[in-house]
Amino acid sequence: MTRRISRRGALAGIGLAVGSAGCAGRARNIAGREGSSQLVLEIRTTPADEDPNGIRIARALAENLDAVGIDARVETMNGTDLHRTVLLNHDFDVYVGQYTEVLPFDPDVLYGLTHSRFTAEAGWQNPFGFTDLDVDELLEKQRAAGGPDRSEVVSELQRSVCEKQPFTVVAFPDALAAARTDRFVGWETGPPISASGLLGMDYVDEGTEDDGEPVTLRLATTDGRISVNRNPIAAEYRRYGTFMSMLYDRLAIADDGTSVPWLARGWEWLGPETLELELRESTWHDGEPLTAADVAFTYAFLRDTSMGNAETPVPAPQFRGRGSIVESALPVDDSTVRLVVDETDEAVAERALQVPILPKHVWSERAEPATVGGFEFDIETTEALVTANEKPVGSGPVRFVESTPGERVVFERNPDHFLARDGSADAESVDDGVSAEDAGSDGDRTDSTAETGGGRSLPERFLGKPAFDRLEVAVVGSDVEAVQWVADGYADGTASNLGPDSVPRIGRESDTRLVSTRSAAFYYVGYNARRAPLSNPRFRGIVASLLDKATVVDDAFAGYARPASSPLAASTEWVPDDLEWDADRDADPVHPFRGEDGSVDVAEAREALREIGYRFDESDRLLARDQ
Amino acid sequence: MNPLLPVVTSVLFWVAAMCLVAGVAIVGPRRLYGVGGNLVPYLRESRREVAVLLVVLVVSGVGRPALQSVSEVFGLRLTGAILALEGDFVAWLQGNFQSPRLTLYFSSIYVFGYAFLLVFPFIAYAALPRSTTLKRLIVAYTLNYALGLVLYTVVLAYGPRNVMPDAVTSLLYTFNPNFQTLTGEVNVETNVFPSLHTSLSVTVATFAALTREEYPAWTPIAWWIAGSVVVSTMYLGIHWLTDVVFGTALALGCVYAAYRYVDPDEEDGSDGTEPDDGESDDGESDDAEPDETEPESWETNA
Repeated sequence: MTRRISRRGALAGIGLAVGSAGCAGRARNIAGREGSSQLVLEIRTTPADEDPNGIRIARALAENLDAVGIDARVETMNGTDLHRTVLLNHDFDVYVGQYTEVLPFDPDVLYGLTHSRFTAEAGWQNPFGFTDLDVDELLEKQRAAGGPDRSEVVSELQRSVCEKQPFTVVAFPDALAAARTDRFVGWETGPPISASGLLGMDYVDEGTEDDGEPVTLRLATTDGRISVNRNPIAAEYRRYGTFMSMLYDRLAIADDGTSVPWLARGWEWLGPETLELELRESTWHDGEPLTAADVAFTYAFLRDTSMGNAETPVPAPQFRGRGSIVESALPVDDSTVRLVVDETDEAVAERALQVPILPKHVWSERAEPATVGGFEFDIETTEALVTANEKPVGSGPVRFVESTPGERVVFERNPDHFLARDGSADAESVDDGVSAEDAGSDGDRTDSTAETGGGRSLPERFLGKPAFDRLEVAVVGSDVEAVQWVADGYADGTASNLGPDSVPRIGRESDTRLVSTRSAAFYYVGYNARRAPLSNPRFRGIVASLLDKATVVDDAFAGYARPASSPLAASTEWVPDDLEWDADRDADPVHPFRGEDGSVDVAEAREALREIGYRFDESDRLLARDQ
Repeated sequence: MNPLLPVVTSVLFWVAAMCLVAGVAIVGPRRLYGVGGNLVPYLRESRREVAVLLVVLVVSGVGRPALQSVSEVFGLRLTGAILALEGDFVAWLQGNFQSPRLTLYFSSIYVFGYAFLLVFPFIAYAALPRSTTLKRLIVAYTLNYALGLVLYTVVLAYGPRNVMPDAVTSLLYTFNPNFQTLTGEVNVETNVFPSLHTSLSVTVATFAALTREEYPAWTPIAWWIAGSVVVSTMYLGIHWLTDVVFGTALALGCVYAAYRYVDPDEEDGSDGTEPDDGESDDGESDDAEPDETEPESWETNA
């Protein structure tokens, strides 16, 4: 029987060993080998006040990892810190987060999230550092393939992603909100935490308010970032981009799963690779006219925020995936722009139109390297990425008025916006169901919403909107407090996630209703594939199987969510049968939970880890190389 | 429009009411009457200390966002370490003792009782014939706030209710969400280490013990409220046990330092002019009477 000596003991012995020359080489051979110790995984997420669900997922996962022999530690940090460390600095092991799009999205989302070409970039583009040749190939193929072929490729892509687990989809939450309907109605037509939801709402005029008072929609949110920073491309400050989408117009918006012309009146394919868009007449909030040059600038800017000033391009940390669809953008005249895309499916190309259009005259000055007190810190950081953009100049249906950091932010209706203009003149004819041509001919303006483009016209519910003169967003401490504000009449609705502590409270308050709409912004566990052992897809697969999604949905979401395996589960038409949630067993179809009712089958999980080559010490701790 | 004003109004009302009742009962009408005469000269004597306290309060009020940013970038993130150190103590406390009555009691203690506990000593010690104790109290408060501010900046940690919502309910804010509007004005959620509720309460309790000769009735009351505040910070899921332990240590250190810094003999020599009107001995004789009736009459107001 040989007695084992700890590594430290061995090192202490080296001093003696080197005394005798023959032993020196042997001592080096032993002590020079790196030792192993228990694997430590830090799970980062936001605190319960900021988001009541993420922390519960992190806790459930940590508990099961601990049971299996991994030292899992949950570290809470606010949303800005979380995004900064994860998305920008890639300094994390595991994190629990929520995807940014509330409305169902095109499968091309996966291109930005998982393509290996983005691993070195900072931002929402592949924060996981996931690199897989097969996935890359499928991502390229789904862009190019059209029609039924694309569906097949997308199915294959999902299978590959689900198997390799760059991130683990946990559940698609219901977007919950507490709302009063005495002043505003229409909360359920779109998620109230989305721009289209807020724009679609109607005001109930009961004549009770003073005529001089502006009609104000008051929201309460736990996410105070909008009161601090209004930079549409600063990934660390944005969540769903709800208010950004109201400040900055996009060429097209997603509505009911298709692209609807927005700032673009319509578009036309000039060939398989060229898309020509006609812009609506529009002005920036500072009075400057919006032209095709701004559109062309925006696409170039998202690709390289230094506009060629830096030695290497400094891409934007948001909208990079969809921005990458556009090869180049050229203004034809003031109101016409041509986008050159690779040979892509039309739906993919239309997704490229969903980026916020930025004013060239404001952002071109921000292409310089960022400085603090006159010093440049990093050649890879431009002013555009770090500016707080406190007074945003957009072209959208609302414009910024004022804010108090950490407390509130106020916006107002933009009367010059095409929604407001068209609402006043053309709304009636459109409401009556008059065809597009008629509506176009009865107006004396060249700018009419009714003209079709990309197959669809502006949805009626947006015409003449927004229904409010002012939009006040108050920052509160927690979901419970937000609900109470609504119940007490200090706010009309909540605009951040509600958790299991706040939902029952809504039922107890007489004037407050629970509004529930489906959300595509899935919760997920992200892994840093740059770090061992998370670089091992088999290991990630086992971690995924230690999270009981069904139990999490019951406990953390109080049932207001649906567990899922595929990130595209909100767009059911894309999900193949074999990736749909297994309703019979209530289990994940790819990495089913190893255990029952939330408690893990430790022996089985350890056996699975041993099978893929991991070892445990005598205290059943999973060993990993010292990092 | 937000719920801050009604909450602040109710806190002010209850604290004023409690101070009035406690003032009459503990300090006694005669000495209480003397507060008016003492206050200005005492504060003038302690102007340096008062000025420093105000500076600290202003810095913590105005500079908090800046210090918070510093904390976010450079601060030690100790949430995980604290959790590893003490485990599920707070969850255990809530799990075993939670009841609607206790929640009502501890929520009231945390907001109203604590505010009263902090304000009342000013009145009581201003009624004393010498300014020494008041000065010491001011110094101790200042040290608590100043060191608390430094530690808040150095350490970035979230409380149990934010970290283990599955096991610890945020009882104060589910009891009355508007309290969060109030506490949100005063502090941010990453400032949990150490617990200033604990340290200031223990400071007051320690002073109460040291001045039991002057106010024998105040000592048990102060201890009861301070003890309740300390428990409430954990019962309500706001603080860790670790925060409470360090808060207590901070309090004892601050009181010790305050006693070292303000020396009664030195004061006698330096003041000269003012304090003789308060020197009379009748203050001493008053304090024995009221102690029997006190705890009860206070409870009804809490």
